[in-house]
Amino acid sequence: MIAYTLRRFLALAPMMLLMTFLVFLGLELTPGDAVSFIAGPEAMANMDGSQLAALRESLGLDDPFLARYFRWLGGVLRGDFGYSLTSGVPIARIVAERLPATLELSAAALLVSTLLGSALGLASALNRGKALDQALTVAGMIGVSVPEFFFGLVSILVFSIELKWLPVGGRTRPEYLGLWDRLPHLVLPALVLGVSMTAGVMRYARASMLDALGKDFMRTARSKGLPEARVDLVHGFRAALAPIAVLIGFRLPMLIGGSVVIEQIFQWPGVGSEFLAAVRGQNYPLVMTIALLSVLAVLAASFLVDLATAALDPRVKLS
Amino acid sequence: MPERRARAGRSRLDGKLDRIREAEEAGLLEHARGSRALRKMLGNRLSLLGLAVFSAIVLSALLAPWICRYDPQKIDLRSVLRPPSAAHLFGTDKLGRDIFSRVLHGGRISILVGLGSALGAAAIGILLGSYGGYKGGPADRAFLRLSEVFMAFPQIILVLLLVSIVGQSVSNLVLIFVATGWGSIYRMTRARMLSIREEEYVQALRAFGLPDLLICYKHMLPNALGPIMVNITLSTAMFILQEAALSFLGLGVPLEIATWGNILNAANDINVLARYWWIWLPVGSVISLFVLSVNFIGDGLRDSADPSQLG
Amino acid sequence: MEGETLVRVRNLRTYLYANGRCNKAVNDVSFDVRAGRTLCVVGESGCGKSVTAASIMQLLPPLARIESGEIAYRSAEGELRLDRLPRNGRAMRSLRGRDLGMIFQDPMTALNPVYSIGFQIRESLRYHTRLGAPARRAKAIELLADMGIPLPAQRSGEYPHQLSGGMRQRAMIAMAMACEPKVLIADEPTTALDVTVQAQVFDLMERLKRERGTAIMLITHDMGVVAELADEVVVMYMGNVVESGTVREVLKSPAHPYTRALLGSIPLLGRGRSQRLEPIRGSTPDPFDRPPGCQFAPRCPRQEPACDAGLPPEVEVSAAHRVRCLFAKEGRDGR
Repeated sequence: MIAYTLRRFLALAPMMLLMTFLVFLGLELTPGDAVSFIAGPEAMANMDGSQLAALRESLGLDDPFLARYFRWLGGVLRGDFGYSLTSGVPIARIVAERLPATLELSAAALLVSTLLGSALGLASALNRGKALDQALTVAGMIGVSVPEFFFGLVSILVFSIELKWLPVGGRTRPEYLGLWDRLPHLVLPALVLGVSMTAGVMRYARASMLDALGKDFMRTARSKGLPEARVDLVHGFRAALAPIAVLIGFRLPMLIGGSVVIEQIFQWPGVGSEFLAAVRGQNYPLVMTIALLSVLAVLAASFLVDLATAALDPRVKLS
Repeated sequence: MPERRARAGRSRLDGKLDRIREAEEAGLLEHARGSRALRKMLGNRLSLLGLAVFSAIVLSALLAPWICRYDPQKIDLRSVLRPPSAAHLFGTDKLGRDIFSRVLHGGRISILVGLGSALGAAAIGILLGSYGGYKGGPADRAFLRLSEVFMAFPQIILVLLLVSIVGQSVSNLVLIFVATGWGSIYRMTRARMLSIREEEYVQALRAFGLPDLLICYKHMLPNALGPIMVNITLSTAMFILQEAALSFLGLGVPLEIATWGNILNAANDINVLARYWWIWLPVGSVISLFVLSVNFIGDGLRDSADPSQLG
Repeated sequence: MEGETLVRVRNLRTYLYANGRCNKAVNDVSFDVRAGRTLCVVGESGCGKSVTAASIMQLLPPLARIESGEIAYRSAEGELRLDRLPRNGRAMRSLRGRDLGMIFQDPMTALNPVYSIGFQIRESLRYHTRLGAPARRAKAIELLADMGIPLPAQRSGEYPHQLSGGMRQRAMIAMAMACEPKVLIADEPTTALDVTVQAQVFDLMERLKRERGTAIMLITHDMGVVAELADEVVVMYMGNVVESGTVREVLKSPAHPYTRALLGSIPLLGRGRSQRLEPIRGSTPDPFDRPPGCQFAPRCPRQEPACDAGLPPEVEVSAAHRVRCLFAKEGRDGR
């Protein structure tokens, strides 16, 4: 297990290296003086031209491209991503401030969509061809077709503005502190973010369960005289779980991407809304850093999926 | 078996089976004829419905200049924020522009972006994927790596990153979609070709000494087309969703061009969201309906192209 | 009680429904399964032998139905009409695994890949016995040992994919025999196995029959297996029993052209290369487009117009030998 983790990490290293290289290339090619995001804005404000040139020299900005890349990479590895072009705040601090909100939202959406999606898919498969199955199939199709942000807008209109059940947006109010107080703020964004993933998981869980229901071992389980519920759940659903875990892993990037839009609609103070602001302001260091982090998240997710698959299916060997 | 019928609790299924049995015994049933795929597609009511909705939306977008009474860009400050009426079917927006006309004209751009990107991505993906899958080689390995790099990003983040670099315009958007979207179809085509390569007819063609290009694109590719068509359909839907999301965020097509996403952009204002529903609700529903219809068509295509499903 | 009839099947008709068509997969089948005896049901694939077995266990697919006839099981509490029990009702479930055990063709697919074989054996015990968890654990290991599996304690914790084909099938038999069922139905248990492993599995089944008096219904397409193991044999073709009787009678003096053809199409060991093998001409008819009378008529060397008049009645050749052929008596010597 530990050996596998290590091996896997080593296998990912070239990929990550390539990514950082591309990101650095992007930074170099995009407009914006590199000095400004290495030195910090206050320092820059107090300098004249010759001082700036000296700074460039001392920072090694006139060094060959590869040398600069490795120096930048060294900084990244130590958690130094440079400064935001617009606010002058270290990027690491911005991300650290905003990451918890995004993680909270994504985890909630993931939890909802995994549980709800699997349960609905299971119910759909067990009632194949019946009214429930048909209704869920159509609902699932609607779930993957309606744009997430449109779904978000409608739910704000209905639940926040008309019914006034839930807040319109934001993560918290000043007087609130605990997670429990924040929960009403979390409900809508998490549900909306999870909706298309729920639909996706449901469609896949249904197919995977139908596949399992047709397997020979289901007949064997019945031949032992087990009750139907045990045959369906303990034998069928358990065997259907591994493919579902794989799908959830494949869908995680979409969840991470979706959080960008959802954070905007619900004014959720996460990394996603910061990313949008950076894209609008052409704040390239921030854009690149967040993009790099999202890749890291995707790779981490695929690693977790491998672990989950190996845990769920004894035939899968971690190698 | 009257005795049996009286005894067991008989379900509707039993009645149905009885009817089949009686028909069978009377010799009324025979083997179904014609194309199974076509029959399945026609038998799938949801796909047919999808096809109808799809055609209706595409046609009305194409015929927009003849259908609409108003210029989609014409600002009319005397009739601002009018609710839907006989004069303005979907009402008017903040600048007095007719929303119905904007939705139809916007559809042209949105569908163009979606379909164009899907076809562009498919063209590159198929071209590289089929030859790569058939021949392999260092170029293929390089493309595979490249597609991995692209696919490691959450798609919308990569798209936004590229938008921030190249700037906003319709053609830039299509280029970005193609650049970020070719990977999935490339990998799928490649995988299909890898398995087709092992089939005997391919070995035979090779033994005849046919040129690789001919074998690859003329003899093998057609056999991989079924799933590719499904993929193109579904990626059209995906790109339309992405264009809408980007434009809604104000980062897609420049705001002065009407597209479905740009019309929805007005809903970023909580005031519009709460009080002027007609500005954003109809266009959002049209996007949803359109994507839904494309997805139903894609599903129908997949079912009818999949020989493993009996019926 | 040796020789006692445990399962009596009479005039069983089971039809399969698919794509709006009705396939009369089992059409008037009768036989007895006796304690301490092996009944072989033999026939080509598609002849209805597996559907017959599934009918007894009530393990038919959803779109299949027992239309008529009876399946009676002599349980400790008296005779039970299996065909009348609800498919997955409590009564049927308590019989499955406890009184009626079943093993399947391919142990790779018939065992659940995500559970250890010990778990899958213990499941039976859990539902049919009062044993506690430790006792079930011990019993599962004992069963594996009984079936000749080396290192049973270790194997018990392994997953199906970790075992060899023969081991898997033994584990499968251990599972079926966990509650010492009185009847064991084996649906082509060795088709997916190597020949050497086949012999081991058959030895095991012989032993169960001898030592425990288990009634065995063995489904096979292999006449060699019939000759080896059967006490009684039922030959099926396109849903009908064409010939049945004791193995001695049927193999020594086959009366149905189909049985003769089956016997003529297998090579016999020791006769060398010179023996003439006669494949059956033609192929099995489309189940949805059946011959009007005798199902074998289109492929039969002895075919006459009378054969198409209707299904031939069953004729008793001797007390322990019945045939469904118009020419059963005359055709006995030579062709």
